[in-house]
Amino acid sequence: MTRPSGRLPRFATLFAGVVLVAAACTPAASTAPTGAPPTTGQTQGASAEPFDGTSFPQTAIDCSNRPKDYTGQISQIVAVDRLTVEFHLCDADVSFLSKLAFASSEIQDSDWLKAHAPDKSYVRNPNGTGPYMLKEWVEGDHVTLEANPNYWGDAPKAKTVVIRWSTEAASRLQELQAGTVDGIDNVGTDDFATVQGDSNLQLKEREALNVLYLGFNVDQAPWNNEKVREAVAMGIDRARIAANFYPAGSEAAKYFTPCAIPAACGGSEWPAFDAGKAKQMLTDAGFDFSKTYNFHYRTKVRSYLPSPTEVATDIQSQFKDNLGINIKLVVEKDDTFLSDSSLGKFPMILLGWGADYPDVTDFLDIFFGTGADKAFGTHFPDIEQLLTQGKTQPSVSDREATYGKVNDLLVQHVPMIPLVHGGSATAWKADVQGAHSSPIGSEYLAVMTPGDRDQLVWMQNSEPSGLYCGDETDGDALRICEQIFDSLYTYEVGGLKTIPSLATSCDPSTDGKVYTCHLKDGVKFAQGGTLDANDVVLSFQVQIDAGDPLHTGNLPGQWYNQYLFGGCLNAEPATCDPIAPASPAPS
Amino acid sequence: MTTYIIRRLLVTIPVLFGIILVVFIVGRLLPGDPCHILLGERASNAVCAAFNHDFGYDRPVLQQFGDYLSALSHGDLGRSLRTNLPVGDLLISRLPMTVELSFYALLFATIVGILLGVLSAYRRNSAVDVVTMAIANLGVSIPVFVLGLLFAFLFAIVLKDTFFALPPAGRLTAGVSVVPLAERWGLTGYAGPVRAIVDFVSNMYTFNALLSFQWGLLADGLRHLILPAVALGTIPLAIIARITRSSLLEVLGLDYVRTARAKGLAESAVVRKHGLPNAMLPVVTIIGLQVGGLLAGAVLTETIFGLAGVGRALYDAITSHDFAVIQGFVFVISVGFLLVNLLVDISYAYLDPRIRLS
Amino acid sequence: MSSVASPADLIADQLATARPASLWRDTIANVLRQRNAQIGLVVLAILVFFAVFADQLAAFGPDDVLLGHEDGVKRLTAPCVHLLGCAPTQVEHFFGLDGNARDEFSRVIHGARISLWIGFVTVGFAIVIGALIGLVAGYAEGVLDTVLMRTMDVILVFPSLLLAIAIVAALGPSLLNAQIAIGIVAIPIYARVMRASVLTVKENGFVTASRALGEGAAGLIFRRILPNAVTPIIVTGTLGIATAVLEVAALSFLGLGAQPPLAEWGSMIGLDRKYLFTAPHLILFPGIFLSMTVFGFNLLGDGLRDALDPRLNR
Repeated sequence: MTRPSGRLPRFATLFAGVVLVAAACTPAASTAPTGAPPTTGQTQGASAEPFDGTSFPQTAIDCSNRPKDYTGQISQIVAVDRLTVEFHLCDADVSFLSKLAFASSEIQDSDWLKAHAPDKSYVRNPNGTGPYMLKEWVEGDHVTLEANPNYWGDAPKAKTVVIRWSTEAASRLQELQAGTVDGIDNVGTDDFATVQGDSNLQLKEREALNVLYLGFNVDQAPWNNEKVREAVAMGIDRARIAANFYPAGSEAAKYFTPCAIPAACGGSEWPAFDAGKAKQMLTDAGFDFSKTYNFHYRTKVRSYLPSPTEVATDIQSQFKDNLGINIKLVVEKDDTFLSDSSLGKFPMILLGWGADYPDVTDFLDIFFGTGADKAFGTHFPDIEQLLTQGKTQPSVSDREATYGKVNDLLVQHVPMIPLVHGGSATAWKADVQGAHSSPIGSEYLAVMTPGDRDQLVWMQNSEPSGLYCGDETDGDALRICEQIFDSLYTYEVGGLKTIPSLATSCDPSTDGKVYTCHLKDGVKFAQGGTLDANDVVLSFQVQIDAGDPLHTGNLPGQWYNQYLFGGCLNAEPATCDPIAPASPAPS
Repeated sequence: MTTYIIRRLLVTIPVLFGIILVVFIVGRLLPGDPCHILLGERASNAVCAAFNHDFGYDRPVLQQFGDYLSALSHGDLGRSLRTNLPVGDLLISRLPMTVELSFYALLFATIVGILLGVLSAYRRNSAVDVVTMAIANLGVSIPVFVLGLLFAFLFAIVLKDTFFALPPAGRLTAGVSVVPLAERWGLTGYAGPVRAIVDFVSNMYTFNALLSFQWGLLADGLRHLILPAVALGTIPLAIIARITRSSLLEVLGLDYVRTARAKGLAESAVVRKHGLPNAMLPVVTIIGLQVGGLLAGAVLTETIFGLAGVGRALYDAITSHDFAVIQGFVFVISVGFLLVNLLVDISYAYLDPRIRLS
Repeated sequence: MSSVASPADLIADQLATARPASLWRDTIANVLRQRNAQIGLVVLAILVFFAVFADQLAAFGPDDVLLGHEDGVKRLTAPCVHLLGCAPTQVEHFFGLDGNARDEFSRVIHGARISLWIGFVTVGFAIVIGALIGLVAGYAEGVLDTVLMRTMDVILVFPSLLLAIAIVAALGPSLLNAQIAIGIVAIPIYARVMRASVLTVKENGFVTASRALGEGAAGLIFRRILPNAVTPIIVTGTLGIATAVLEVAALSFLGLGAQPPLAEWGSMIGLDRKYLFTAPHLILFPGIFLSMTVFGFNLLGDGLRDALDPRLNR
């Protein structure tokens, strides 16, 4: 907002604002830095211009009496002064800083949004505070980033970053081996050894923060029999799948939630593989072995499922060999599989889940909580009840106990069988210093030195559909945004710990319901504009307020923050919350 | 001749309309709804209703077809459902790549194909002939995707660090950037068809390099095009070689050629002066006919070599049900196709007056 | 109809006697003299042998996952042939193992069965529909002819593989749908061949005469036109099988045809593309067999054309 090139009309509104929302404003003259030059005669002589802090929404939402259809956790975001923002939440949220660090919480320049959101030009012309800025985007071929000369932090090591893409792991590795790229994402499972054996290359493994599961619709025969499901859980050799089709760093699942996540792994482990006993249980349950049962999966490569067809084929062969059950593989289309399965259409599926943020709720609540979809059929009230309880428990040990009980019940009810936590890896030329992998795919290219070259070429799976990441959901777009934009917090390089970025700190109140964030001073956007608290407010506002004229995005319906923060406002004509797993599409 | 061309053009019009209709119908027959496909996997029905309204999919199909035709008559190909980019822009960025690739593939196929065919006919029934024709027969039998994969393996990995190493994918070495001709020639302020044509040519990187005298860029572009062009050109090459051989043999068996031989003309001169010019007619036709095959092959070639061409874009559009892109691309491609066929027919008629009169 | 021989029958008999059994023998001998046909037949004979005896030749079923069945089995193991120096301690797998530890040799030779079936069924479908359209168009002439043949032109204008992709996208990916798509795309060729035959036969004096003498349409079609069209259809069809095998494989390669775990070569190559560097044998062997099948039909088609239909020989 405090762009030095501000013109007169803006000051008119500015002063009007001061009068109208005076309550939200703190005396600006005392907090504004002396460095900011006066821009017009109106502020001549003053040490700084006055600050008109905005709030979103104008009136704080009463969490005990929310507006109709608003399920969100945000009560109000207030620009207290030029460099202070307060987030008022409805409930304490242990993952709040993780959510602030997420790419969708990137901070945009208010003026840029106002100028470029209406015609959506910001989708292909981003203006961020990050280490890099967009130089060119050759549609279908590559994106080139160049160092942002105004970057507030350490200058990026490589002057230029070229981002290319190929959906084929083989092609990516081929390019790396041929030396035409410096780093590639998602090394093929069977190529780990190739990379490790090549002295010109280095492999960076990614922690397995995901789960592959075999899901049942517990309402559909023959899987509506708990004993049958239990038998299948015992008759699938999970270790064989993990050992043969997954790279190093993967493990056969003992629990649904990966154990790297706090409080995830208490209670019963999934039963060990025992084909004989499993078959006996099926016979006892009167299972019909003469039929062929459908098994639905999609061929999309994910780190929880790096070789979809091979794993599905192996499960098919295990069903036959271990259990005497014939199953037929049915390949579902990418586009319809998730929505169809969320409605409980398929009797048996192969699917997985990767963490958005490292908390148990991001696994258990999403699949088994009250808001979960119908992929596994009718919900289990005993599990739901425990999950509702766990969500509100502040103490770690209490949560551990609760989630332990949930794990016991999952083993008892078997709505699904967790199979594998899949590791993945990036690979780099050996001379790339600072090469790393991030468990959630947020690799920071700015800290990498590509040998003696001044350009780093990175090859990922796919082309981004846009570079306004408020409404992108694909990791390949989010990663590029993270090079161009900053959020208030960020993840430490290669880790999950949140560290301040555009904020110097965000401090929670004692009840955890208010976070006060202090912004770094003098941060400039690459194409003009200086960071202030209103930029933060507007960046969140245009995502969460579906009625805002600046709520445009690339294509409607992919607003990640509506999901992270639980909902949106003014959803007219009902364009809210499309990606939230908690709200399955009505049938 | 003029009447022939006019008649030929008139015949083309109903075919063109048929194409538009077929493309539209096929687009509507694709199952699944574009909204869920394009807006992410869990888009709610309300979102989809808004989306369908936005793109006009909630209107009656007949009206949609009318809208489409009227937009088309204004040169508006619509906007991509997936990227929201104008289909026209997408064509200008994607089609040049494919045209360029097809050009080099056809160039390779024509030159080498005719050479092999002539050699084979000249030395008919010799070992050279047998080997050449065996290779030609194999050439039409190896699928583009097998050949392409083996090439990529051989030239990018096995021959890595040798003189013969060639890049396995991409159009240019990363970091090599191309200055649009419009920028170079100071045309950035202009819009309209002329600008579109300049941009089109500009996006054929090797032609761009030629026109702006950037030899390094030209070499880099060509190096990247060798493998895909050879893989794509192999089948046409084999076909052209076979046609050249049989056509030349037929001509060489004709009376006037025998007369020429009887005059004591050397066999090489007979082939060069009397055989070749007369044998070229079917060869020209068959070269024209290869254009369609090249485009189909381009889908596979672009997939294997990671090239952002029209084949790949169309494949993506079809599998993701991007109606607007499918319609626009297929329309333009088909028009191009009809034009090529027209040219072939006309040149044929020009060369062989009997056709004009029939 | 009547027990008295009509003039049409007499002409028919004449036509029939014009093709005595010895002529067929001559034709076959003629085909066998063609070098192309010889090579093509040998290649195809080998493939047919593999296809017929796949169960006996293969040590394993095409879908048998060997994990848990063979000690120390490892996915993507390279080919091992004891005669070629592979350590005798190692289990013999001629073409190695694939990404699911299935015996690649067993899969590839079972693939011969699938691909031959694909070729014949797809082209058979195209011939039946195409011939029908060609017959109707050629026989009816006039408006119906124009409409039908213009429709065929429209189909021909599209690059065949792209049209096939669109059809499969509409029908849903499966081997059968891929065959239907490739079949549809091939229809115009046979419609044209058939129509040309009809027109030729119609202009033939005998047929004009036989029609004048009151032979019915069905009789005319089945006893006069069809026998005449057989030769060009066989020649075009043989070459068409090569194309069909190739294009169905291309669709399967793109994931739009045969679905896993079916051992279809195109689909195997498409799925195993990612192993190009770790296990190139998974591309090489199905690639060789696929190419040889297409090669065989191409050569046989050429040979047939040279032997049966010198007019087409250009």
